[in-house]
Amino acid sequence: MGGQSKPQGFSGVVSYDGILYLGSTDGKIMAINPSARDQGLPFPSSSSGEWPFTFILPSKGTLCGSSSVPVVIYGTPVTANGMVCVGIYNGKVLMLNSLIRSQNLPFPQAKDGEWTYPRTDDAIEPIVGSPVVANDTVYVCSSDSRIYALDMAYGDEKWRSAPLDGKLWTTPLVDGGTVYVATFDGHIYALSASDGSLLPWVFEAEVGFVSAPVLYEGTIFAGSFDRNLYAVKVGQDKPLWEFTGGNWFWAAPVVDGDIVYAGCLDGKLYAINGRTGSELWEFDAGSSIVSSPAMAGDLLVVTCDSGKSGDVYLVNAQTGDGQRISNPDDPQNDERESIDASIKGHICVQDGIAYICAQNNCLYAVDIARARISWKFPLDIE
Amino acid sequence: MVNLWNLIILDPMLNGLVALASSLPEEIGVGLAIIMLTIIVRLVLLPLTLRQLSSTKSLQGMQPKIQELQKKYGRNKQKLQQEMAKIYKEAGVNPAGCVWPMLVQFPIWIALYQSVIRTLATAPENLLDLAQHLYSWEIVNSAIPLNSYFLGLDLGQQGSASGIGGLFLAILVGGTMWVQQKMTTAPSTDPKQRSQSSMMLLMMPLMFGMFALMFPCGLALYWLISNAIGVITQYFIGGGWGYLSFSSTAQPMANQGVRKVR
Repeated sequence: MGGQSKPQGFSGVVSYDGILYLGSTDGKIMAINPSARDQGLPFPSSSSGEWPFTFILPSKGTLCGSSSVPVVIYGTPVTANGMVCVGIYNGKVLMLNSLIRSQNLPFPQAKDGEWTYPRTDDAIEPIVGSPVVANDTVYVCSSDSRIYALDMAYGDEKWRSAPLDGKLWTTPLVDGGTVYVATFDGHIYALSASDGSLLPWVFEAEVGFVSAPVLYEGTIFAGSFDRNLYAVKVGQDKPLWEFTGGNWFWAAPVVDGDIVYAGCLDGKLYAINGRTGSELWEFDAGSSIVSSPAMAGDLLVVTCDSGKSGDVYLVNAQTGDGQRISNPDDPQNDERESIDASIKGHICVQDGIAYICAQNNCLYAVDIARARISWKFPLDIE
Repeated sequence: MVNLWNLIILDPMLNGLVALASSLPEEIGVGLAIIMLTIIVRLVLLPLTLRQLSSTKSLQGMQPKIQELQKKYGRNKQKLQQEMAKIYKEAGVNPAGCVWPMLVQFPIWIALYQSVIRTLATAPENLLDLAQHLYSWEIVNSAIPLNSYFLGLDLGQQGSASGIGGLFLAILVGGTMWVQQKMTTAPSTDPKQRSQSSMMLLMMPLMFGMFALMFPCGLALYWLISNAIGVITQYFIGGGWGYLSFSSTAQPMANQGVRKVR
C-alpha cells in the first residue's frame, strides 16, 4: 500500500591515500582500492589495503521479542591518519584502523586506536550526518538534538552540547574554535569547539534548515524547508540573500570562488552568484538532486535520483552545459538512465574518476575524461 | 496511474494533513490533525457508510429466509440462486449494495493511511519522499519536519518500541475493532458458520492489534479513531449496541436452531 520504507541508508564515498571508504546499503563499512578493482582482483585484496567490516549490534528486545538489528549508514566516513570514522543510524560512532581492519582482527583493537562510542551496548539517538574530525576531536550530531565531541584517540566524550532544536540530521561545520550547526527548527548555532557552550551569535530563520551548512569566507550557505538557499554572514541577524528553488535544497551546496553550486530536489542544479544571490545559470537534471555536486576541474559531476534509477551528468561549471553519462549496459539508448538504481550518496572524485555508491549496493566508477562508466563493483560480498 | 493517484487523492490529503497540523499547537499538532482528518474523512463518507449499513441490515433481516432456501435447495445450486434472486427482488434489496459503498471508500482509506505514514517521515528516505508530495504552500513548508510527539507517544515510532503506551494503543485498536465487529455480526444458527464468525471476530482484532505494534503509532491512532467512529456510527444508525448486547442470548437461540433441525 506504499508509505514508509525501512531505513536503508545512503552513505557516500571518501578517498584517502588512494583507497576509497564507504558505507554499503547492507550496513558494511568497506575499504576499496580502485586499482585492484581495475585489475579485477578478488575482493578483498588485503595486500591492496581492501577490507569489508561488519559491525555487529546487540540484538534488540521489543514487545514482540528480540531481533537482530541491521546496521544503517547515512553519513559519509571521514578519514584521518589511517583511521576511518563513521557515525551510524543505530546511534554509534565507530573509529576503525584501516591497517588493522585489513588484517581482520576482532573489533575494536583499542591499542591501535579503535573504539566505539558509546563503549557499552548502549547507543545514542540515530546519527544521520557525517562526523567531522578537527583538533584531534570527532564532532558528530545526533537525533537527540545534541552535538557530541569525542576524543579522536580514545573515543572519550569531551563534551556534549545542551539539547538544541529537534533532531540534528546534519553534519556539523567546524571552523577553528567554532562549531556551527543548522537545525530543523530554523537556527544556525555557533558553539565553542572546546567545551560545547553556546556562543552569543545565533541566526534564526522562520523555517527549519534541511541541508548541512557550508562556510566560505565568513558566509554560511544552507538550504531550508521553505525551498530557499540562505547565505548568512556570520555575526549578522539578517541573511545576505535568499535564493528560491522549486523544492528543498537537501544537498549541501558547493562553493567555488564567487559561485555557489546548489543541487535542488526540483531536479535542477543552480549556479548562484555568492555575493548577490542572483542566478548565473541552471541545469535541469530531470529528477531530484539529493547529493552535493562534486568539482572535477572545470566540470561538476552531478547525480540525480528518480527513485528507481539515477542519472549522472558532467556539467560545465562556467556555462551550465551538461552531458549525460550513458548506461554501460545499453550505451546507445538515450532514454535509459545512467544507473539502474537510485543515487543518493555523496560523490567522490579522485584522479579523474568519480565514484558513486548507488542504492543497488554497487559502486560505480565514472571516467570523467571519457564520459563513461568504466566499472561497477557489487558491494554485497561477504 | 501512480501519478494520477498522487495528484488526485494522496497529495491533497497529505497536504491537508500537514496544513492542519501546522495550524494546531505544535506539541499535539500531528496527533490532533490525524484525529481531525480521520473524522473529516469519515464524515464525508458518511452517506456511503449509511448506505452500506442499511444494505447490510436488510440482508441480515433476510437471513432466516435464505437459510430456509439453502436447506430446501442445498443440492440444486441453480434453483437456489434463482430463488434467492427472486427473494432479493421482492424485498428490493441488492446483495452488492453493501459491497460497493465499501469499495468506493477503500481508496480514501488507503490515501488516509498513506498520508499518515508519509507525513510522519521518520527516516531520511521518508523525508526525501515527502518532499515530492508537498505543495509549495507556506503553511505546509513551514510545518516540516513535523513534531511527531502526541501525549508522550512518538507517533513515528513502532508501537512495539514505544513501551507501555504503544501496547495500550494496540489493545485499544484491537478492543474497539472487536466491539465494532461484534455489534454487526449476527449470531448464526448453523454451528459451522457460528464457529467461522467467532474465529473472524477474534482474528481481525488480534491481527490489527499486532499491526498496531508493528507499524508507527500514528497509524495505530488512525485505526483507533476510525474504529471508534465506526462504533459510534453503528450505535446511532443501528439503534444501540446491536448484536453486542445479544451475546448472552445467542447460545440458547443457536441451540433452539439445532434442535429444530433434528
